[in-house]
Amino acid sequence: MSHQDLLRLEALRKSFGSTVALSDTSLNVQRGSFVSIVGPSGCGKSTLFNMISGLERPDGGSILIDDRDVTTRTGQVGYMMQKDLLVPWRTVLGNITLGARLTRRLTYDDRRRAVDIAQRYGLGDFLHHYPMALSGGMRQRVALMRTLALDHELLLLDEPFGALDAQTRFEMQQWLLSVWRESERTVLFITHDVDEAVFLSDRVLVMSSRPGRVVDDITIDLERPRTLGTLTSAVFNGYKSQILEHLHGRVGP
Amino acid sequence: MKSRLLRNVLGSLLSFVLVMGIWQAIVVWGQVAPYIAPRPLDAFRAISGDWSTLWPLTLWTLRETVYGFLAGAVLGVVFGIVMHKIAMLQRVLYPILIVTQAIPIVALAAPLVLMLGFNLGPKIVIVAWIVFFPVTVNVLDGLTHVDGDLLTLARVLGARRWRTFLVIEVPAAIAPLFSGLKIGATYAVTGAIIGEMAASSGSSLALYQHNANANLNAAAVYGTTLIMTAIGISWFLLIVSLEFWATPWRRRVTARRRRIGGKHK
Ligand SMILES: Nc1ncnc2c1ncn2[C@@H]1O[C@H](COP(=O)(O)OP(=O)(O)OP(=O)(O)O)[C@@H](O)[C@H]1O
Ligand SMILES: [Mg+2]
Repeated sequence: MSHQDLLRLEALRKSFGSTVALSDTSLNVQRGSFVSIVGPSGCGKSTLFNMISGLERPDGGSILIDDRDVTTRTGQVGYMMQKDLLVPWRTVLGNITLGARLTRRLTYDDRRRAVDIAQRYGLGDFLHHYPMALSGGMRQRVALMRTLALDHELLLLDEPFGALDAQTRFEMQQWLLSVWRESERTVLFITHDVDEAVFLSDRVLVMSSRPGRVVDDITIDLERPRTLGTLTSAVFNGYKSQILEHLHGRVGP
Repeated sequence: MKSRLLRNVLGSLLSFVLVMGIWQAIVVWGQVAPYIAPRPLDAFRAISGDWSTLWPLTLWTLRETVYGFLAGAVLGVVFGIVMHKIAMLQRVLYPILIVTQAIPIVALAAPLVLMLGFNLGPKIVIVAWIVFFPVTVNVLDGLTHVDGDLLTLARVLGARRWRTFLVIEVPAAIAPLFSGLKIGATYAVTGAIIGEMAASSGSSLALYQHNANANLNAAAVYGTTLIMTAIGISWFLLIVSLEFWATPWRRRVTARRRRIGGKHK
């Protein structure tokens, strides 16, 4: 059983003062799955990621990856934070390879792979640009590539496509799906966009705030690979309205 | 890029001409006696006429300035880093550093001569004494105020502490470092001249000026001042160019060198 679950959260909780950012949350994430998290602003999505990545210490509960307790241990997952932080004095290439440079000796191979991935996904002409000269969407892509570059099996992506136009967004979604499929990663994905959540995921978790918690867990049974046609299918819309109902139809807890 | 450099050079030239013009105007229209203040051209003539004496003295002062500056800069960086890393040391050292700057430099010169003699020693110490302070303060400040988000990012990426220091903190402190160095650069030559005034046997620019003054040779006095100023300005400009070169991300769109893993097509 457990060897199928890459990530396990056990009774995880976190408060900031009197704000309960996340109340007792237990969760299993299957290896190789794509799980999205949707929920209103302030319901504790980023807090959850901060704890899984080891940045933030939970008030209680534990985080297990591959049955290893990694609570408060950093560097175990690939985490793309909500804010697209690029190091201003490093070029696109330097930012993509930042993880390697911070943890070990940067190799020729690291660089070559970074060049490869940047060229493949539309940043080939910007390899030597400083972040200052990039658009918001490009910055997000660089941050995403940096997150992928370290080869962690579990990826936490906090609204990675927030700053993209619809066209680029769709391309990036396709790209992410192909990376996910080819490199057999497990993805936890925060988004405000219900379409995006359903389109990408095997499973969508709906959260609500005050206190922050998971209120619904919906398995998305749509055939892959998903295409533009998927977006207009009846099943797709069924899932979508189910989630929207949960998000907006709440009257009380 | 090129045109901005050109504009800067042009601006400097203009300000030079302006200052010389004002000087000339004051002396001519104010009918200032030549033994009180010479005309600019006379000052230049006085130094070019005695260039064979002045040139070695200039080099000597330049050497004091540069050595002292380098010593002060290194000291400043070391102090800044150590004080940043060890909070207790910061609390102990900071008051002491402030005290060092409150001591009048001139009062420092006499005991230094006793300790180090009349040679290069006391001048280097005085210059370093002046230069290290703004460098320490700025480096410390820079390290203290590194963007917290970048430090978080380093943690997310699983960085070791000393790598975070090298890859994130040090580069972040470069801009403040140069602020400190630029302040130090403008004061360095003053320190060297104070040192020469207090501790010169034989010959030095300060002594040369002192003698010219005694002989009521105002042209030479002003001329020597021009040389001292020129040393200060040159050193400052060098530091500014160094800063320009060391922080390309602040003004360039792309990196200068093309270093990549694969062949660039
Ligand atoms: N460091 C902190 N100190 C105090 N309160 C915090 C801190 N971080 C988060 N919170 C609070 O915890 C709650 C959850 O925040 P979190 O950032 O996890 O929300 P979110 O779901 O990611 O929201 P959004 O969709 O807007 O990003 C909020 O009420 C927030 O104010
Ligand atoms: Mg958030």
